[in-house]
Amino acid sequence: MPAVVIPRGPVDGERFALVAAGRAYLALGFVFLMLPIVTLIVFSFQRNQYASLPGQGWSLRWYVKLFQDDALLAALKNSLIVSPVAATAASVIGFFAAYATHRFVFPGRAALSILLVVPVLIPPLILGIAFLGLLSRLSLQGQLLGVILTHVVLVTAPATAIIQLRLAQMPPSLEEAAWNLGASEWQALVRVVVPFAAAGIAGGWLLAFTFSFDEFVISWFVSGFDPTLPVAIYSYLVGSADPSLNAIATLVFVLSSLVLLGAELLLMPFIVRARRPGRAAVA
Amino acid sequence: MADAALACGAVAEPARGPWALRAVSIAVPVAYTAAFFLVPLAFFVVLGFWRVQDYQVVPGFSLENYRDIAGHILAQSNYGIAIVQSFYVSATTALCAVAFCYPLVLAIVYTVPGRLQRLVLLFAVAPFWTSYILRVFAWQILLARRGIINTAAASLGWDWMEQGWLNTQVATRIGLVHYLAPVLVIILYVSVSSIDRTLIEAARELGASRLQAFRRVIWPLSRVGITVSLSFATIIGFGDVLSGSLLGGGAGRSIVGAVPLFSNMIMSDYASSTNLPRTCALAMILVLILACILVAGLRAAERAQRAVA
Repeated sequence: MPAVVIPRGPVDGERFALVAAGRAYLALGFVFLMLPIVTLIVFSFQRNQYASLPGQGWSLRWYVKLFQDDALLAALKNSLIVSPVAATAASVIGFFAAYATHRFVFPGRAALSILLVVPVLIPPLILGIAFLGLLSRLSLQGQLLGVILTHVVLVTAPATAIIQLRLAQMPPSLEEAAWNLGASEWQALVRVVVPFAAAGIAGGWLLAFTFSFDEFVISWFVSGFDPTLPVAIYSYLVGSADPSLNAIATLVFVLSSLVLLGAELLLMPFIVRARRPGRAAVA
Repeated sequence: MADAALACGAVAEPARGPWALRAVSIAVPVAYTAAFFLVPLAFFVVLGFWRVQDYQVVPGFSLENYRDIAGHILAQSNYGIAIVQSFYVSATTALCAVAFCYPLVLAIVYTVPGRLQRLVLLFAVAPFWTSYILRVFAWQILLARRGIINTAAASLGWDWMEQGWLNTQVATRIGLVHYLAPVLVIILYVSVSSIDRTLIEAARELGASRLQAFRRVIWPLSRVGITVSLSFATIIGFGDVLSGSLLGGGAGRSIVGAVPLFSNMIMSDYASSTNLPRTCALAMILVLILACILVAGLRAAERAQRAVA
């Protein structure tokens, strides 16, 4: 490649101004993005009954109140049953779906790949109504099992997408080598493919968990008298907002930060992969 | 056997158990999709044609739900005006969200050093991992009449926001933009960061100013990402219920009037009547509208793609 000399002055004032403006905008954007989160965390530790400035001093009273609030705790417990189960089911289905569309050619493969992604495009409002119809016929309405089944449909699509991304990075020779060495199909799957896709499966599980844990409308329609956490929070917000919500918010944010940390370690390599070629092939 | 296969460079056929992997791995997603997605969706369409009599759902084929909805398009429930409100709010929300996120992504790609970009992107996407309903709650206490923004402004001697923004569609949009931003940042980052830098450098070397390089290189090459973001944001905004209900107050004010969004109307309709067949018919109308937006969005993205190809 011939060397190109880029004519640039010793001090490029325009460039400096643009970079400064860009970074200032970035800072403003981050204020907007972080404002609600910081607000909730700060006011969960403030004495104020109604969040307004100035604060009235630090206190843990909302946390104490939260742990005496049976309705919110029961809803949290429901969510901690629904989301892991739904995420696990979604990861298993998503893995088989990703593996089938990755390795095998079969009639209807293209249609299947599309159908697996479509639920993401359908607003949860519609999924909730659609599933309520069937669940009420099956008398599963108002049961956690109904919520779980519906959430699986919502979260399988993102889990599948993440696992597909990971499997696409697997060289076919890896599995073939296992067969050549005498492994059966299932042995190769369990000992080679699953370990290779582990990061994708874990990332898909986290994404599925987050979607399910945060999902509101479907649960509102389906969950009946066994609300999940977002539904319980909603009924508080429609009624009278109580600062113990700030406390549960902070706890949920701590949980989210852990999920976020896990996701950063597992998912980001896929998104920023284009910039670091060659890393992906290392199992 | 395996040695022979290796020697001639062929791939040995793996031993197959009684449960062939091929059959299982295809059957699981197919069975799941059919049983948990296609059947409920088909039943949902059918249910829209059933009726409720004496609080019992009666199977059959009747257009009563749709006739009833059509009769209330511009009367009583005003479904028509709610649909207009939804169109107005979701389209302007999509514009605001892209207008906020696109410069943000440009700033990340072009002013943040490469090794820091991943970290900055991580923080930009961070709100996505936190609960949407709790963020909406935070905006409630920020935007309320005696909320944080107003009391902070008042302590600085500004009292131009006596009313607060809560219970207007402005608040709905703020909540939605905050909800959409992380996803749009990812879509736009993928689109903008894949623009070949040598193209920009070539334009600059050939004498283009920075503004010209943006207008003739970066902007055309980000148009697909922007079109996809706009249609994605419109669809999500149209189907969302939380911002409209908790920030817009159910029937937030806007130019269209103090009218609820169509999605909120569907929810409150079900809450007050528990007439599921009728709710299905209303949701069916929502599905058709969203399908139209999706098709229009795909067409626009295709056009943008062809313009640069």
